[in-house]
Amino acid sequence: MFARTALLAGCVSLGLAQTPPLVEILSGELDRNLRILKEKADPAPYYLAYEVTESEFSAVSATLGALKSSRSERGRRLDITIRVGSPKLDNYHRMPGESVRFTAGVALAIEDSPAAIQRRLWIETDRVYRLAAERLIKVRANRQMKVAEEDASDDFTQEAPAVYSEAVGRLSFPVEEGAAPVRKWSAAFAEYPRVLTSQATLAAQRETRYFVDSEGARIQHGRGYASISLFARTKAADGMDLASSESFEAEEVAGLPKDEIVLGAVGRVSSDVSAMLRAPLVEPFVGPAILSGRAAAVLFHEIFGHRIEGHRQKDETEGQTFAKSVGTPVLPEFLSVVFDPTRREYQGVSLNGFYKYDDEGVKARPVTVVDKGILKTFLMSRSPIRGFNHSNGHGRRAPGFEVVSRQSNLLVESSQKVTEARLREMLIAEIKRQNKPYGLYFQQVTGGFTSTSRRGIEAFKVIPIVVYRVYPDGRPDELVRGADIVGTPLASFSKILATSDRAEVFNGYCGAESGSIPVAAVSPAILVSEIEIQKKEKSQDRPPYLPAPTTGAAQ
Amino acid sequence: MRRRLGWLVLLLAVPALAQDDVILRAMQDELQRSRGLRAVNPEQPYYIEYALHDGESVSGSATLGALLRSHRVRYRLPRIQVRVGDYSFDNTNYIRSDYYSGTRYDVEQFPLDASYAVLRQHLWLATDTAYKAAVEAYSRKRAALKNVTLSEQWPDFAKAAPLERLESIHPNIPDQAAWLARLRRLSAAFLDYPAVMASVVDFEFNQGALYLATSEGTRIRTPESTNMVRARTSAQAPDGMLLRDAIVFQSLDPLRLPLEAELERGLRQVGENLTALSKAPAGEAYSGPVLFEGIAGAQLLAEVLGRNLAVPRRPVTPPGVSFPFPSSELEGRLGVRILPEWMDVVDDPTQKEWRGRPLFGYYTVDLEGVMPRPLALVEKGVLKNFLLTRQPVKGFETSNGHARLPGNFGAKAAGFGNLFVRAAETVTIPELKKKLIDLCRERNKPYGIIVRKMDFPSSASYDEARRMLAGMSQSGASQRPVSLPILVYRVYADGREELVRGLRFRGLTARSLKDILAASEETQVFDFLDNTAPFALMDGGAFVSETSIVAPSILVDDLELEKSQEELPKPPIVPPPALKN
Repeated sequence: MFARTALLAGCVSLGLAQTPPLVEILSGELDRNLRILKEKADPAPYYLAYEVTESEFSAVSATLGALKSSRSERGRRLDITIRVGSPKLDNYHRMPGESVRFTAGVALAIEDSPAAIQRRLWIETDRVYRLAAERLIKVRANRQMKVAEEDASDDFTQEAPAVYSEAVGRLSFPVEEGAAPVRKWSAAFAEYPRVLTSQATLAAQRETRYFVDSEGARIQHGRGYASISLFARTKAADGMDLASSESFEAEEVAGLPKDEIVLGAVGRVSSDVSAMLRAPLVEPFVGPAILSGRAAAVLFHEIFGHRIEGHRQKDETEGQTFAKSVGTPVLPEFLSVVFDPTRREYQGVSLNGFYKYDDEGVKARPVTVVDKGILKTFLMSRSPIRGFNHSNGHGRRAPGFEVVSRQSNLLVESSQKVTEARLREMLIAEIKRQNKPYGLYFQQVTGGFTSTSRRGIEAFKVIPIVVYRVYPDGRPDELVRGADIVGTPLASFSKILATSDRAEVFNGYCGAESGSIPVAAVSPAILVSEIEIQKKEKSQDRPPYLPAPTTGAAQ
Repeated sequence: MRRRLGWLVLLLAVPALAQDDVILRAMQDELQRSRGLRAVNPEQPYYIEYALHDGESVSGSATLGALLRSHRVRYRLPRIQVRVGDYSFDNTNYIRSDYYSGTRYDVEQFPLDASYAVLRQHLWLATDTAYKAAVEAYSRKRAALKNVTLSEQWPDFAKAAPLERLESIHPNIPDQAAWLARLRRLSAAFLDYPAVMASVVDFEFNQGALYLATSEGTRIRTPESTNMVRARTSAQAPDGMLLRDAIVFQSLDPLRLPLEAELERGLRQVGENLTALSKAPAGEAYSGPVLFEGIAGAQLLAEVLGRNLAVPRRPVTPPGVSFPFPSSELEGRLGVRILPEWMDVVDDPTQKEWRGRPLFGYYTVDLEGVMPRPLALVEKGVLKNFLLTRQPVKGFETSNGHARLPGNFGAKAAGFGNLFVRAAETVTIPELKKKLIDLCRERNKPYGIIVRKMDFPSSASYDEARRMLAGMSQSGASQRPVSLPILVYRVYADGREELVRGLRFRGLTARSLKDILAASEETQVFDFLDNTAPFALMDGGAFVSETSIVAPSILVDDLELEKSQEELPKPPIVPPPALKN
């Protein structure tokens, strides 16, 4: 690969004795604003927090050996939280079907100039205060008109303020250095003429979060993200769009895999897409299946993870699948689920959901949500729910959004582990037992979506990319295309029969009310007795009329 | 004809051939191969256009001496168009011309490397998509017309002679680091103006070329360059009224931007303006003559006259579908007097300079490969012509080289280059002011109004622009919204002036210009970046066109002003932090 040593400099963590300059400016202006607002404003705020997200980002992408884009940017965004009223009832109080947004994630100077930063803090604090005060009045009026809420818990938890500071260096990834490897990886797609479009991207990011609040929290922390992502797309004769992708993540560019491994992935992605062109269409099917570790990880994130996010248990428009299930079995008893944001990596693979403090300044910690099948707790921000009066460090957001409870690193642990070979034997036995012509093997899936609202159908959908039919008679597995996994969440959980002994990592970005945030899920492969697939909706337009131009130089 | 000779000589001096340029060669070869599309479907393409904006953009912004952001990006943005049918009736000028339900391949950006093979591959996929979209729109348009009879029908696309014109490209991006340092210094000027609540100073340099190749044989390579330094500021009066002012410096050549000292003077003027406005009394409703002095005259004429000289065509719409369409106030007024008979208007994009000062609206060829020539738009007050693209409009069958922005429904949007508004009868500015005072005395008005700066192009945020549009539409007398006046002065009988704030025009339209009472002999050049947004809102469009207007100060009769803000937000509860520690 390219000059790696140059890229090693960077995230040096060390405890700093002095308050970092930005934290100093933030806390000075925070104290001044809160003091005067408490004196003069009605209703008065009881809590104020400033969070600054500083991000430096560089990305290079190429297609067929030619550079396609190259960009770098650096910026800071400011998020302000003001709570007026009291922790018992404040402007963040949930009202059915209403989502609040006070903060705007405005741009802040990237240099620690007091005048520039203080001015912006002052104007934004006033703007957010006015919205907060207005909402509190609405909340109070609404309470007088409506029936009592089912969950009468407070609006804000008590937490001990944290003081922590680590230096997060500048991003040292010159985009020019990324161009050569990205060109090389992308050029390898040219060996697969059936691929219509393809791309290789190398991205590096460094993010520092600064957090100060009126309870005394003073935090500066951060981390790096680096990734290689590859995709290939084509179109079948019947119009179906086919795609496959792979990605690699690390905290630093230097931690990303070597060329051979990346080129190997280019080959897999391209040959998968090329093979799909010849693969038969799926038929609607209900029967046994194995989901690879990565596929199972996505399934757990979607069908399970989103339903144990704390704030959903309080919102009466939510399905509240598990709101009253604490202490009861929700998964087979050989499974446990832990969310662990303090986990940096899993068997050498960096985890996207690693952080030290959440976006409410609460220290990250591992949370066992399901222990041997029994639901123990929820993912908590500082928004309390009945029976849970403390955050467990899962209040997260993207800049410009309000914090809600979100996932971090989801880890599925199993006590019923078998080898992958044995898992396959069990699948074949299950196919025979159910008298099905075949079972399915989901090798790769891409993110899905889930609806947790009462209004929609409470269902989930993940998008499988690479799916095989597995025949019980020893015929080779057969690649199929056009499958969507469908189903209802509760039903799916009970149908897990066993897991493999080897976990895989799925790193990704999860979008929800509080924006797109980095998460990871780690799971062994799972055998389910029943999964339902349907035909994917497909594009109706045909592949390109003319053949690809033959220029004799397409490498 | 002389002009034509001029560029032939240029071509001889620089023997540039489309074959030597990898982008144009890829375009030409793929255009040739795309003829094959005629065999695959009964709806045949009759026109294919490949345009590529190739360039680099460098930008940065700062506030009060500290950087907010810096950015640098290379880009190659394609615009690929396929027309099916024929010149008289094709897939464009239909409400769903730009819509496509099928797969779009990842070709919104073209490769930055000069790879012939990859350019061909992108052109191939983009052409396929554009062709399928064209066939889809064409059949829907024909279906929509099954049940509708159009009262008047013009061809969908004008014929134009192919043009080959390869200019040499010399990008000259200024040093980003040096400009970031300058930006810090410039933005620190606002540390001296505590009344200014928020200020952002930014720069953006875009340089590159437009490549254009069409199936008609046009081959163009022409420089594209926009360089801009800008300051935007806001404040709040003691009663809560929101106030804004901005200044923009722009140039086709970055080396001809003003020097730092002059930039700083401009910025400080904005600081002075806002400070004065925040102390000024709120204005009252007014009806009577208004003097637009200096750049305000040019701004008003650019917005109310210049922008109305483009006549967008209403797209074919299925029966029963209503669709708000911003038409031109001058539509249908050809041959009618729209200005006093002593005024003429000419657009001349071929002028590079005017009295030694560079003109921002200079261009040699438009987005459709048509060369502009000086164009008489208004003669002796009578409307004679419109700014035209290859989209025919009533009374005009051919383009006059004013396709300046990508438009809607498969057409380009027309815009002017260098608009010259000339008055044959003039007086001096002091005489204009005297005329204004005299008029007010005659009519027993306690004061008259002078406007010295308009909010055009507007520095409002999207939210504020939306509120402005909503407010103006409720105010009754307004048809097309007009920018807010920023510097408004009451002038009393003794010549004394008083700055007021918070007014907007009511019912100011192109028709108001018929009543221009007098114009000054002094003229003002006003450069700006136009786009298709209301008020030419800064950042209101992905594409901009560089334009200049040269115009006199004007005295207009019978205008109305009213209060622009009904509900005033409260000023901040907490006093501002000190600007200097």
